[in-house]
Formats: sequence, C-alpha cells, structure tokens
Amino acid sequence: MFIVDYVKDVYGAMKSLLVGMNRTGYYFTHHKEIITEEYPDNRETLVLPERFRGEVVMAHDENNEHACTGCSACELACPNGTIKIINKFDISPEGKKKKAIDTFVYHLELCTMCGLCVEACPTAAINMANTFEHSVFNRGQLTKRLNKPDSKLKAGVE
Amino acid sequence: MSPATIIFYIISAFILVTGLLAVTTRKIFRASIWLLFSLIGIAALYFWMQLEFLAAVQIIVYVGGIVVLIIFSIFLTIKSGEEMPKPILIRSIFSALAVLFGTGFVVRIISLYTFKPISTTAFNLSVNQIGTQMLDTKDFGYLLPFELISILLLAAMIGCIVIALKSNDKEATTFQNSIQ
Amino acid sequence: MFSLESLTTLVQDWLNKTFPPTWALLIEFVIVGILAIALFAALGLVLVIMERKVAAWIQIRLGPNRVGPLGILQSTADTIKLIMKEGLTPDGADKFLFNLAPFIVMIVSMLILAPIGFAKGFHIWDINIGVLYVSAISSVSVIGILMAGWASNNKYSLLGAMRSGAQMVSYELSVGLSVLSIIVLTGSLNINDIVLSQQNGWWLFKAHIPAIISFVIFIIAITAETNRAPFDLSEAESELTAGFHTEYSGMKFALFFLSEYINIFIVCAIGATLFLGGWMPFHIGNWESFNHIMDYIPSFIWFFGKTFFMIFLIMWFRWTFPRLRVDQLLNLEWKYLLPISMVNLIVMTLVAIKGWHF
Ligand code: SF4
Ligand code: SF4
Repeated sequence: MFIVDYVKDVYGAMKSLLVGMNRTGYYFTHHKEIITEEYPDNRETLVLPERFRGEVVMAHDENNEHACTGCSACELACPNGTIKIINKFDISPEGKKKKAIDTFVYHLELCTMCGLCVEACPTAAINMANTFEHSVFNRGQLTKRLNKPDSKLKAGVE
Repeated sequence: MSPATIIFYIISAFILVTGLLAVTTRKIFRASIWLLFSLIGIAALYFWMQLEFLAAVQIIVYVGGIVVLIIFSIFLTIKSGEEMPKPILIRSIFSALAVLFGTGFVVRIISLYTFKPISTTAFNLSVNQIGTQMLDTKDFGYLLPFELISILLLAAMIGCIVIALKSNDKEATTFQNSIQ
Repeated sequence: MFSLESLTTLVQDWLNKTFPPTWALLIEFVIVGILAIALFAALGLVLVIMERKVAAWIQIRLGPNRVGPLGILQSTADTIKLIMKEGLTPDGADKFLFNLAPFIVMIVSMLILAPIGFAKGFHIWDINIGVLYVSAISSVSVIGILMAGWASNNKYSLLGAMRSGAQMVSYELSVGLSVLSIIVLTGSLNINDIVLSQQNGWWLFKAHIPAIISFVIFIIAITAETNRAPFDLSEAESELTAGFHTEYSGMKFALFFLSEYINIFIVCAIGATLFLGGWMPFHIGNWESFNHIMDYIPSFIWFFGKTFFMIFLIMWFRWTFPRLRVDQLLNLEWKYLLPISMVNLIVMTLVAIKGWHF
C-alpha cells in the first residue's frame, strides 16, 4: 500500500534522525569523553597512544646490542628511499668473514611513517617510537644513525 | 509641508527613479534589480498609507515571487552578463513619443477626475475583516473571483506536472523520436 | 518587579515632553536603530561562539579555548580581524551590485526584527500583520543572495546562489503552512495577540499532536530557509568552496556571516513565539499559584531562553546530520513536508473549529 509505505518512510526517517541526535546529544553532555590534548600546556603529562608512529628507532639492550643483521630488507621495503644500510665484514672467532651492519642511515625528513620497514624486518630490530617533536634548525640534523656506536649484533640472532 | 508629505515625495521619487533606471540600464540583471527596488518602493507607499496587509502581499507576490522568477530566468540565459547594444535611434524616438503620449493621456484622465477627500480617519483593517470579505458570498464579497483564480492556478499546476512528467509509454517516445 | 515596558514608556514620555512630536519620533528611531545594531553585534558574537562550542562538544573536542576564559572572546577577536581585512572586489564583478548585496541581506534581517516581541510590551513595531510581515520581508533576502552570487562573476557563487534561491523559495511554503496552522488557532497575525493567546499554556502543548507535527515541520523548514546544514547546499564547502559568498572578504563577508546568524535568531524567535509562547512564562491551565511563581521570572528571560533553546536545536541538527543532495532536498520538501503540512493544516482547522485543543 502506498500510504502505509509513506508513513513507514516518515516514521523510519524520524527514528533514525532521533538516534543520531541521541548520540551527539550524549557527547554534548558528557565532557569526559573529550579527546582533545592541549599539547604545549600538558607536555609533561601527555600520553600518546601505543600505535602512534613518530620515527623509526632501533632497540638496543643494556649490553649495547641490537638485532639488526644488516640484511637490507628494510631498505628495499621503504617506498621513499629513507633508509640506507652500510655493511662491513666482521671476522668471526673461527676466522670466517661475516656480514654485519656498519651504519644504519635514516633520513627522518624523507620518512612518511608508513611502518613498512618495521614489518619487513625479519629480526624485529627496528620499531616505531612515539616521539614527535622533530623540529630542528638544520636539515642535516634529521639524518640519523640508528645503530649506536660500537654496538654489536645480539648473540643468537641470525 | 508636513513630515508625512516629505516622506511621500521621497518614496515617489525613489519609485520613479528606480523605474526609470530599470528601463534605461543596458545590463539585464541590473534592470531586474532596479525593478525590484521600484516594487519595494510601491510596497513602502502602501506602508505609508498604513495598508500593511496590502504592502506585505505586494512584497510576497512581486518581490519574493515574480522578481525571483525573473532573476532565475536571467540566470538561465547565456548572455546575462553582457551589455545590451544601444537601441537604434528611430526606436528610441518612437518609444519616447509613446511614453510622452501615454503620460499625457494618463495626466488628462487624472485631471478630469475630481478627487473627493473621503473621511480623514485612518482605516484600520484587521486581517479578520479582510479574510471574511475575501470569502464572502454577499455583496462586495470576493468568493467567486477567489475560486476562479484558484481553478486557474490549479490548471496551471496540472499543466506543469504534465509537462514535467517522465513519459514511460511507448507511444510518447516513438512520437518524440519521429519528431526528431 | 523589573519590566522593560515601564522603561520604554518612561523614555517615550520624557521625549514627548521635551521635543515636538516629529522630533521625538525621529529620536526614537535613532535610539531603536542603535539598539538594534547593538543587539546584532552582541548576537553575532554570542551565537558564533555558541556555535563553535556546541560543535566542539558534539564532536568530542574542546573548541576555542585560547582567547579569554574558556575562549569566550574568540569571536570578538575574529571580528576585529575581519574589520581590519581588506574588502576585495574581484575583477569582472558587477561592482555596484557586488557591494550592495551584503547590505541588502543585512537590512532585510534588520527589518524583520521590527515586530518581534522581546518582552512584555517591548517590541519595535506592534504591526497588526506581524507574522505575515516577517514572511514577506524575509523573502527579500533571497534576492540579496542571488545578487551576490551573480555579481561575483564566479561559477561557484552563481551555482550556490541558484541552489539557495530554489531552496528558499520551496521551503518558504512549508514554513508558511506550519505558521498558518498556529494562526488558525489564534485568529490573529499580530505577534502580541499570538503571545497573549498562550496565557494558559503554550500552543505546542495546548494543541497537542497537530501542533507537534507542525513544530517539527517548522523547525526543519527554517533550517532549510536559513541555509544551514544539513541543508547548506548553497555554501557546501566541499562542492562550492563557500557558495554565494566565495568572493567576499573582510567586512562584507562579515555582514553575510552575521546576517546568517541574525536570521537564525529571528526565525527561532518567531518559532518560540508561535509554539512556545514568546515572552509568556510557562503557565499550566488554571494552576494559579504555579502560574504566579512563574511570573516572577522576567519576561525577556523567558523569551531569550526559548529562542536560544530553538537555536540550540538547530545547531544540534547542524552537527549531527550529513548534508542532503539537491534532489533529496527537493524530494523532502515536495513529497514529504508539503503534503504532510497541508493535511496537518486541515486537521488543525478541524481542531480549532471543534475546540479540541485545551
Ligand atoms: S616508516 Fe616507511 S618511509 Fe619511514 S623508513 Fe620505514 S618504510 Fe621508509
Ligand atoms: S633493520 Fe631489520 S630489515 Fe633492516 S637491515 Fe637490520 S635486520 Fe635487516
């Protein structure tokens, strides 16, 4: 029936509008839900969400060891050419030559924080950090070396 | 001169000047705007005479309805932004003559008519009275014209719907195709 | 008890005693003009900050919070900024009409203010066709918008103006019909009479279901009339940059912006007058003592309270609903609002004749 459909239409429309208004009305009255951070004012107490991507870092443990084998998978995965892996050859105690990382060059200014490098890394050597205050006066300061000086590959990581 | 008279002359001058501008301007959109001002001036004259109802109706019908329609149709024409070419001389001469004779004719009729001042008490028409008069069947009632006009409008509306209707049946489409 | 009526009579008496009548009238005009402009400025500032705060809270944000406590001086700062900006007139625009349009829109908003009763015995012009006057004058403002859109010589502006024209012309009908359904009950177009007829309860409650239906239609239609979201097709940012005022800057833009808010205030004031009793305190039938207590709240507080309630409703709509498409907009008006309000008007007439209302 035409009339029945019409009335149903109007009823359904009114109902869905009211559902929407109920939701926004709830937010309007519940100021506890507000998610705005007043950033420079709450710099001390600011807590960023876990998954926020600020920059790529390499984790080092207390023995100044990291998990990067220098395989260059991250360099290949990066769409922007942000990462440059420079390798060296270590001599192992048995006298064998072994490839190892010399310098992990990371150009922060080119990085789009896509996280593809982190996913590509087979040994989970790098991860995304939460830091976000990256402003500096000189562009050169944005080119970083991620492996700390004199750091070694963790034992057992292959 | 009393202030009321001064206001009357100001309003009349406004109507005349904007009316004149409406017919002399060479940009068509401006002409419609001047026409709008002229019509608003007439509404102001009604307000001056304290015929508020008439003034409001004047604004609704002419300004809100007719001028908006005119402006819309101007928008839909292509050359709405350009200046019109200057009219040819002989046409302007003849139109000036027509205006002159028309004015003379009207002035003559007005001067022949003797205006009797009616009672000076301001008439205060309530909306109730206007409404009753409008739908009255007795003397001076306007029911018949009112209904006639509504039938006319209904016919116009049905006509619009018929024109705007999408024709689904084959005959109409084949007919249209044959025309093309 | 404090009342604005005594104040106005005091001023009037004093003026009439000291000046000849014509001069007294002129001085009154000037006073009223200054008051109206002051009200406009204040309303503009208050409504803009209110809108931004409401928007923020609905979207779980804080909103403006830098200028002044809680950011309440933000709109003042914005106004100062706008005043100092240069008013550009684009090349190829029709200079005269381009500069005239914002003033037309503004003057129209100013004129509509005349018959509104702000408090008991406090209105600019107690005209006997009040409601009709408002709907008549408000139909002029569409011309200002069309003028602005055309004179800017910009396709966004022109499209915005066309849309806004079509929208205002079609939604005027349902506004008119829903207003009429209250007029049927009061039998008068005079705003003062309409308010007085709600002495024993507001029409929204007195005339129950048909009044509620026409209230809903009214509020939908005025949202469309004032070109606000979800009906803001004429200035849809994502499609038309800013619609008819794309080319305007500085104070001329501010006038458009201000007049939008003034128009909201005025239509909400009309709605509050028709459905919620204007400045009439909340009365219930014959509960004398209850009514008496309510009378202690000054009438202008009632008026502004109701008006701001309506404004809040409209803002709530704006920040909840997504924008309609043009065809949906016209469908809504011609297939739903108009037939429903026509049937509703007939029902209301029946209610009025049979006296089924309270
Ligand atoms: S986050 Fe993306 S852009 Fe940045 S270094 Fe990793 S892969 Fe390259
Ligand atoms: S960070 Fe991971 S992917 Fe990149 S070179 Fe080191 S081990 Fe390979």
